[in-house]
Amino acid sequence: MFRKLKGPVLFLLMFLDVQIIVGSTPICVHGHTGCQALSLADLFDRVIQHSARVHGLSSDLHSDFDQYFLPSKINRNCHTSYILTPNGKENAQRLAGEDLAGVILKLLLAWRDPLSQFHRSMAQHEDFTSFSGNKALEMSDMVQQLRLGVERVAETMHLLGMISNSVRGLISKEALGSQASGSEARSMTDQQLLYCFRRDSHKIQIYLKILKCRIAPEQGC
Amino acid sequence: MGRLIPVILLRWEETLQWQRVSGTAPTVQCLCEPLFADLAREVSRSGPEMMAARHLLLLLCQACLLLETGSFAAAPPLSASEAPLEGPHFTACLSREQETFRCWWSAGSFRNLSEPGALRVFFLKKNSLSRNWMECPDYTATVPNECYFNKSYTSIWTSYCLQLRSRHHNVTYDERCFNVEDIVHPDPPVSLNWTLLNVSRSGLHFDIIVRWEPPPSADVKAGWMSLIYEVQYRERNTSHWEVLDLETSTQQSIYGLHTNVEYEVRVRCKMRAFDNFGQFSDSIVVHVPVKVHNKESTFPVTVVFIFGVVGLAILFMLIIFSHQQKLMVILLPPVPAPKIKGIDPDLLKKGRLDELSSVLSSHPLCKAEMYREEPWVEFIELDLEGMDTAEKTGCSDTQRLLGLAPHLGSSHRLAVKDGDLGRASCYEPELLEADPAAAAAFCLRSQEMAVTSPEPQTERFAPDTGPAPDGIPDSRPVIQTQLSTQSSISMDFYAQVSDVTPLGGVVLSPGQQVRGPGEKGEGGDGQPLKNQKEGQKKEGGGVGEKEVPFPLLIVAPDSGAYTSELGTRQIGSDCSRGEAFQDPPAEMPQPPTEKNAVQQFALIVPPAGEYQSPYFLPPAPQLPPVADYTVVQDVDAQQSLLLNPSTPPPPNMAPVKPQPAMPVGYLTPDLLGNISL
Repeated sequence: MFRKLKGPVLFLLMFLDVQIIVGSTPICVHGHTGCQALSLADLFDRVIQHSARVHGLSSDLHSDFDQYFLPSKINRNCHTSYILTPNGKENAQRLAGEDLAGVILKLLLAWRDPLSQFHRSMAQHEDFTSFSGNKALEMSDMVQQLRLGVERVAETMHLLGMISNSVRGLISKEALGSQASGSEARSMTDQQLLYCFRRDSHKIQIYLKILKCRIAPEQGC
Repeated sequence: MGRLIPVILLRWEETLQWQRVSGTAPTVQCLCEPLFADLAREVSRSGPEMMAARHLLLLLCQACLLLETGSFAAAPPLSASEAPLEGPHFTACLSREQETFRCWWSAGSFRNLSEPGALRVFFLKKNSLSRNWMECPDYTATVPNECYFNKSYTSIWTSYCLQLRSRHHNVTYDERCFNVEDIVHPDPPVSLNWTLLNVSRSGLHFDIIVRWEPPPSADVKAGWMSLIYEVQYRERNTSHWEVLDLETSTQQSIYGLHTNVEYEVRVRCKMRAFDNFGQFSDSIVVHVPVKVHNKESTFPVTVVFIFGVVGLAILFMLIIFSHQQKLMVILLPPVPAPKIKGIDPDLLKKGRLDELSSVLSSHPLCKAEMYREEPWVEFIELDLEGMDTAEKTGCSDTQRLLGLAPHLGSSHRLAVKDGDLGRASCYEPELLEADPAAAAAFCLRSQEMAVTSPEPQTERFAPDTGPAPDGIPDSRPVIQTQLSTQSSISMDFYAQVSDVTPLGGVVLSPGQQVRGPGEKGEGGDGQPLKNQKEGQKKEGGGVGEKEVPFPLLIVAPDSGAYTSELGTRQIGSDCSRGEAFQDPPAEMPQPPTEKNAVQQFALIVPPAGEYQSPYFLPPAPQLPPVADYTVVQDVDAQQSLLLNPSTPPPPNMAPVKPQPAMPVGYLTPDLLGNISL
């Protein structure tokens, strides 16, 4: 999976034109002039909004599923269990920004395929309304965007010197680990998937918040 | 849908089982459980046709279970369990800040387990590798039946399962599994305060902005918790709370509150994307006392209103008086004066006589009266030739009138009715009654015709008067004679009408001059007047200017001679006058005499262009009375002529005597023969 991801990610990174301005970075591709320069705080805000939306969608889908299906004995072991995530506030605060960003990215990366798979399976369900199907589609799309956004944030942080490792280094490390969980992801039921993703999206949201309030505590903290 | 039925049933089983295991009834009792049981049985039995029922059952189940599960982690431990003989169970587990959590339980009906230590809590963290149940790390000392998990024992995003066991580990009364983030109920916000934004102009409403602080226990600053808030407010003594939308920031504005009313405002919060609200904060009281200055607010409105009305009124008046004609007509249309049938009394007072005459003539009443007279008026036909010869022979006018002159043939006749064009038409009573004006016009026309050809008329006379006895003077075409050049002659045969009584009677006065329809015809009168003058001078000088406005035939009953008053011109009774008759024919110009004649016949014939006032009788100078004729003083009610007895009859006019005693009445042609001259 890493090999699969390496190509597109590198391709993507090649086209990232990040100009270093102290505290602000323009989100421009191919060096377009007139791009709006965004500060890191703005980037974080956007990313946090995305993550909030993702988490909301996951919660809704999870509750929708609960209406139709019993809260059966869910296998609480998600396929992302291998990713070491801080489970407490102190643990999360103790974690370095770099690690936190890495964790976020790993999580997002791990959920890319299962979510698209879930969306495809949702379309085949006759029990679900189209509304739920739309939610699933939106969720998977947003996760992708969220991932890209976080990568951008990480890139910016790296360029700003806050983190030492680049995104590439982060991804490469974790990509190895995610390969093993590919098979697990495919065996998940929808309900389990939603349960796990709801949990993980909450993690992502909180981690991003912690990171933001640590780095740019201007507003919203 | 196929797999929902077993789902429902399975859920049912679970619910019942859960209740059996927990021994507790849910805090929100599901009243529809027995119903669900029955329905479940029904659904399982029935086939595909029970789709609707299944759906309904499904929804009901979900509602019930959601209520149960939702309330499972709510809140503070509630002691009561409503089902009897309920065993020990967990009442609630909650976390306030997502860092620690607590659980409470109750012994239920088992009183022997109420003492502390009788029940023990064991928990298991699913994510840990160990599968050992650990006992509650901290049984709270102060609060009974509470187990407190501190930060070290709290792991978010991990699944906990708690068990309530008896002291000696052999009986498990209750078990609960949850994630910590799912049982987070944040503390209420603190530091609630409000600030007045504005007060409405009317002083009846105001807006405030309410601010608060997040609960101190929740670490929002670090980003550990993302809270959203809900503000509620109500009037002081009401029971219904107004709920505002969820707010992310720590302030909320409230609009449209009433002044002089006390409000309560409270806030609560929850984690974003989760459903567990925390407790409400303490309410704050909002009260804005405002003195409503009604006078001040309405005073300018009243002033503006008054000024506006005054301004509009002034504008209106200006418009009216500036454009008088147009707008006055539009706004105040002229009221039409009432049209009253009748004679305007003002006209009677100060109107001219000709106008008055025209009015009177046009008045139907007067016309009717006048035309009533018509049948009683006879036209006395005169034979001019006979008259001439009689004059020559020195006969009296009367004789001439009566046609006693030798030369007079059968032309003398008092033709009551003849076939002649003019006379007959004039005389016909029905014609006269029906259309006097037309008859007069016809007369006039015939007279005009007579003017143009006087000779033929005289010739015509002859055949008409054929059957007439010789003794009867031909009193025929008076009209014609008047119109003819012998107008002056004809004048002498007629008395002048001096006045017209209101009853329609005509007062005749011999020798009187009647001003014709007057002023208008002066031009025309000039020449005939001249003739008249001459004629009258010849008569004896007493004759002044004469005008002949009225053709009126009135027969004097007392005299053998007919007093024909066709002309207003005085008819001379002496032969001299008769001579005068002869004069004018030489001098008679055609058109003026016509006109003059027209004027003469004003009584009957409205002269062309003249007013139609047959009763116009301006006072005329008195002329010396004519012996042959008497003046008709009046016409009494019996339609008889009353002659003026004061007029001394001339010697020739022996028969002319005032005879009031004479049978007053209509002198018919039949009686004429009886009259002795």
